[in-house]
Amino acid sequence: MAELELNELASDPELLNDFLVESREHLSNIELQLLALDQNAADTAALQAVFRGFHTIKGLAGFLGLDAIQSLTHEVETVLDLARNGRMAITPAHIDVVLESKDYVHACLRALETVASGGAFGGFPPNQALLNSIRALAGSAAPQSEAALPEALSTLAQAPPGVESAQPKAPEPEASSGEARSIKVNTQKLDFLVDMVGEMVIAQSLVKHDPDLATLGKPRLTRNLAQLARITGEVQRTAMAMRMVPIRALFQKMSRLVRDLSRKTGKQVELELIGEDTELDRNIVEELADPLMHMVRNSLDHGIETPEDRVRAGKSPAGRLTLKAGHQAGYILLHVIDDGRGLDAGKILRKAREKGILDAQAAPAENELFNLIFAPGFSTAPQVTAVSGRGVGMDVVRKQIQKLRGKIEIESSPGKGATFLLKLPLTLAIIDGLLARVGRETYIVPLFAVREMFRPTPEMLSTVEGRDEMVLVRGSLLPVVRLNRRFSIDADFADLAQSLLIVAEADGKRFCLVVDELLGKQEVVIKSLSGSMRHIRGIAGAAILGDGRVGLILDPEGLFGRKAA
Amino acid sequence: MQAVMEPPAAAKTDARAGKYLTFGLGKEEFAIQVMRVREIMGVQDITAVPQTPEYVKGVINLRGKVIPVIDLRRRFGMPAQEYTQRTCIVVVHIEQEDTRMLTGVVVDEVSEVVTLQPGDIEDTPDFGRGVATPYLLGMAKLKGKVKILLDINKVMSEQEIHGLSDALL
Repeated sequence: MAELELNELASDPELLNDFLVESREHLSNIELQLLALDQNAADTAALQAVFRGFHTIKGLAGFLGLDAIQSLTHEVETVLDLARNGRMAITPAHIDVVLESKDYVHACLRALETVASGGAFGGFPPNQALLNSIRALAGSAAPQSEAALPEALSTLAQAPPGVESAQPKAPEPEASSGEARSIKVNTQKLDFLVDMVGEMVIAQSLVKHDPDLATLGKPRLTRNLAQLARITGEVQRTAMAMRMVPIRALFQKMSRLVRDLSRKTGKQVELELIGEDTELDRNIVEELADPLMHMVRNSLDHGIETPEDRVRAGKSPAGRLTLKAGHQAGYILLHVIDDGRGLDAGKILRKAREKGILDAQAAPAENELFNLIFAPGFSTAPQVTAVSGRGVGMDVVRKQIQKLRGKIEIESSPGKGATFLLKLPLTLAIIDGLLARVGRETYIVPLFAVREMFRPTPEMLSTVEGRDEMVLVRGSLLPVVRLNRRFSIDADFADLAQSLLIVAEADGKRFCLVVDELLGKQEVVIKSLSGSMRHIRGIAGAAILGDGRVGLILDPEGLFGRKAA
Repeated sequence: MQAVMEPPAAAKTDARAGKYLTFGLGKEEFAIQVMRVREIMGVQDITAVPQTPEYVKGVINLRGKVIPVIDLRRRFGMPAQEYTQRTCIVVVHIEQEDTRMLTGVVVDEVSEVVTLQPGDIEDTPDFGRGVATPYLLGMAKLKGKVKILLDINKVMSEQEIHGLSDALL
């Protein structure tokens, strides 16, 4: 069926782009509503919404002459129409097929995306099999015969009441008024805006701190500048807020995953979503999709037991998976909670010894033991299944979370379940930093890594073999990292007792950074370095300082953590 | 316009004709294509970046963008020189592996913009060392002086190239 030619309209990049954007929106709404319908087959509003979504896509596709999409959506519409008119009841089998159709349309959109971005059209994926299964569903309903889908139809006891009463094709008035309140903006434009606002804030602070201005002593000018400062700050906050999106879409992806996985593994899972309206930076949401998916898989595969096992353990046959999001003191907290069997500390210990990660005598604390599941290639699953067991997933989770400057913690009680706690910064664009001077360079130490700062006294200092330096801080010996030596620059003082020490933490280990002077705390907009400078060990990026100069942001893990080895 | 009208036989030379920005470095005059140049600025505070080659001076703030700056003297193995009033940073577009980025290039002084006709340009002479200098586009004779045409993309390329000083000084 895959015609390799697109007609004239579909070749128009602007029309095609509009189609893609609009269809994608409809598809994600369709998925959301389908999952609601799956929970409650009598949810006529959801059914109507799904129908409308497919109907709109069909219309759009027809206009552009995209036959593959049009014919498929038409068939789906027929099935949904039967359900809408109460001639057929929605069963999980229907939901499966409609979800599959939604995925198919999504695949078609991806094929069209290459065209929109100037590539050649590779044709649509074949859809004959899918068409047949949809027609089978529609056909089975017409003669009211249960033969075609005996199992599926028998599970649905009663046809949803009140379906007929729902108005057929009238557009929902509240839907259109809802759209009017927000507009679509190209994300690149948005990123650029946020960038430029960052610059504006810096420029404003340059003016404000201009030494010439301080000597003028004109009250009106000072007042006006203060007003400007207030407005700039407000603009920055607003621009930042524009990048924040609710976590809802990500959670929605997870509910699809949970549905698919529970059907595949034969487990019963109730998914509970809390705090879907929690907002976080769009970039973080994108980066979070993968780790969250792995964690949900992990909970479903390792955590939640089969219905039989659960009943035997005295629990309800259906497991419960809770995704909870919320804010706390400038961070996003994300919980993945299951009420399954919990992490088996003994099993992890055995496996770790087997794999040579721990030696036979080691007896680590429970939380250290739990952290082992993030080691590459570590899996306690007895066999590799399609869902998990290859030991790749949790490794990815930790890497990704660290990349996002976040933390992950595990709590578990045997037989009762496990909780994975993610702590993430609100945004990747800004970092709270401690400005420190070494010689004539200013460095930014990320505040999340800073534990304390002090000027050492000579008796706190000692050396190992006359070379490696250490500081005794309240009973613990911390190694000293001299930034000037590491970065081959000149520092003011060679004597540690004259310098300042910043105690920083990387990968759970603490160390001291030697600096000449502390210049203060500042929020900075993170800029990445280009080309070969991107991978310099110990440097996470750069930022523009209040005086217009560039300061380098230090990467504590590159300086002293696992990465520094 | 003249260049565009040339017959196809001269096509190879034509590609190099056009407008160039000329600048001085030591005793030599160099030229880079004007379309590569984004802007010219005075030397400002450069932030040193550790673990970079010696010719990389560091990074600067170009209206909110952090861009690297390289010292062309050091790149070509010429002796370093104190920056003066005439020292400039020429900001150029560099294309590397499909990415476009801006880079600052420190030169002793910027001279002028000239239009080079195909007849002004000659291939780089063979210095008898059997080693081609890939970043040299050719030589131009203008008002009795020689300008060395640089392919700035190749000058910035990651691979270390043979010191220009060997070839020319």
